[in-house]
Amino acid sequence: MMTAPDDNPPFRKVLIANRGEIACRIIRTLREMGIASVAIHHPVEARARHVREADQAVEISGETPVAAHLDIAQIVDAARAVGADAIHPGYGFLSENARFARAVAEAGLTFIGPDADTIALMGDKISARQFAADHGVPVAPSVMPTQDLAEFTRRATEIGFPLLIKAAAGGGGKGMSIVRSAEELEGAARLAASEAQRYFGDGRVYAELFVERPRHIEVQVFGDGKGGAIHLFERECSVQRRFQKIIEEAPAANLPAALRDEICASAVRLAAASNYRNAGTVEYILGADGRFFFLEMNTRLQVEHPVTEMITGLDLVRLQIEIAAGRDLPFTQDEVSANGHAIECRICAEDPEHDFLPETGTILHLDAPQAAYLRFENALDRGQRVTADFDPMLAKLVAHGPDRAGATRRSIAALHDLSLLGVKTNIDYLARVLGHPAFAAGELHTGFVIQHKAELTAAEPDEATRDKVLIAAALGLRDFRDLILGVPEPHASIGPWRN
Amino acid sequence: MVLKLDLDGTVHHVTILARRPHLVLSVDGRRHVVEALDEAGDGSRRLTVDGAPVSFARAGSADGAIIRLDGRSFALRRRDAAEASAAGGGANVVRAPMPGTVIVVHKRVGDSVQRGETIVTIESMKLQMKLDAPRDGEIAEIAAREGEGFDKDAVLARLVATAEG
Repeated sequence: MMTAPDDNPPFRKVLIANRGEIACRIIRTLREMGIASVAIHHPVEARARHVREADQAVEISGETPVAAHLDIAQIVDAARAVGADAIHPGYGFLSENARFARAVAEAGLTFIGPDADTIALMGDKISARQFAADHGVPVAPSVMPTQDLAEFTRRATEIGFPLLIKAAAGGGGKGMSIVRSAEELEGAARLAASEAQRYFGDGRVYAELFVERPRHIEVQVFGDGKGGAIHLFERECSVQRRFQKIIEEAPAANLPAALRDEICASAVRLAAASNYRNAGTVEYILGADGRFFFLEMNTRLQVEHPVTEMITGLDLVRLQIEIAAGRDLPFTQDEVSANGHAIECRICAEDPEHDFLPETGTILHLDAPQAAYLRFENALDRGQRVTADFDPMLAKLVAHGPDRAGATRRSIAALHDLSLLGVKTNIDYLARVLGHPAFAAGELHTGFVIQHKAELTAAEPDEATRDKVLIAAALGLRDFRDLILGVPEPHASIGPWRN
Repeated sequence: MVLKLDLDGTVHHVTILARRPHLVLSVDGRRHVVEALDEAGDGSRRLTVDGAPVSFARAGSADGAIIRLDGRSFALRRRDAAEASAAGGGANVVRAPMPGTVIVVHKRVGDSVQRGETIVTIESMKLQMKLDAPRDGEIAEIAAREGEGFDKDAVLARLVATAEG
């Protein structure tokens, strides 16, 4: 939807230090605001969609395409050379790089994000966790590494069970165990300490509360950089594979209102305490008992931001730009409301039947459904090579509905109608996840994909379907078609077969 | 002509039983009356099978097709024609087991090779792997170029039987 450009846009020209669907999405908002957009690209992506859609493009070089997109000096120089007054980093690449934010500021340009110090604070797991704890945001209780087993056992018992015990220096599961009662604790701690000593030469052990069947809940926040902060409700991103989200939704399913309010309030507290400026996401782990713990804060626009946009009717990129320009938050917490339900599916080039390993290929055919309640965020072209150069995420399909069941139905129908041929994708797999009774019931946790592996495997097509597939394929093969058409009698008329 | 198409590891047979007045095809011995409503190229297409409408999308590949039908995608590969007609069939090609990059090409066109000799070394998922000759023969084609990427199932080399063999 096009709106008239703003009368008084906060910037004249913005360089987008990113590519793919997110660059295209940012260009869209810049155009609506009457701001010129500048794309950057490595030589291998010179004809990519984001390059064609931007008002201007700058080629950057690097040993690999990813290296070029991580080259701070080159990107800042490009922004200055084209006369951009701000840089939007998108997500990934340099979006959470404090050195980049600092370099942009030092070049006299505006970084559309938080200041470098905030990025550094939240980018370090330990300092972020400490900061959260200091401001009343719950963190998972833990016993810091120690060699004193008596002291360890006493403090661990205070936390409660189940507990995850591991070697402080550890990795790879060595010396790691889950303890469910005080009786087991001492023996488990002794074993962990001896294994820790044997494998790592460091006998210190560490324990933290083990959250069973955890849900991933995150809160979208916005801060004005002056201590003012609001939230735009939560998202649930529990459906994950290989520790990465594949389905996100807003709001979270079956979340009691009081618990939602508590989680959102703690995220706002964190943003306000850090004088946070920009869009940010505070991630939590939520246990079945309703206890929730701080995981981390992402100081950038999130991949799954469209689900929040769909339920709030807001443009998060526009808000980022206005706040970066020093404007105030244009509304108060009370003025934000949520409507309906939205689900995002990440379409990835991968093979769900083989551990979700990345796939490559060439996009031979692309046909995406369109509807007012759908967004198909992508930067795909027919003939485009899908290589291992970049992340395997090809596109995002986002559907809004009056309620969760409605959004699920619309998502399944849209996945059904989405035709992306030439590279193996997870499209059909995502439809199976959304159609699973446990998804419909909102019984989500980060182990969902593993728990339901058997039911989520593709069933053999029935004979009738298989025959149709074989006929459809056969009729597309030239020599088979020629036989039907009666070639070498090329002008023989066989009704609809002539083409 | 019997068209042989591999779907998920099983080879299926498609033949033409009649062309007029209706097109009748046999799929693994089952008879189907087919009417094509759209032209037979790639893209979103329709046809009727035994009177019932079928909508699908099709993309042709060098040795087969990808069909999306009823919300599912199917990759099919020809098991007849060029590949099958060459002596030894599929054993004459060296295919990539997964996507990756060519590290070393060990042989040149015209080289004689014995079964088990390495033809190319590839790297996939950060692991190096040697692809060996599936049979004795002579290198007819090397499609692999050092440093270049390839897709899963790409043909990296072809063999022919040696003249005296």
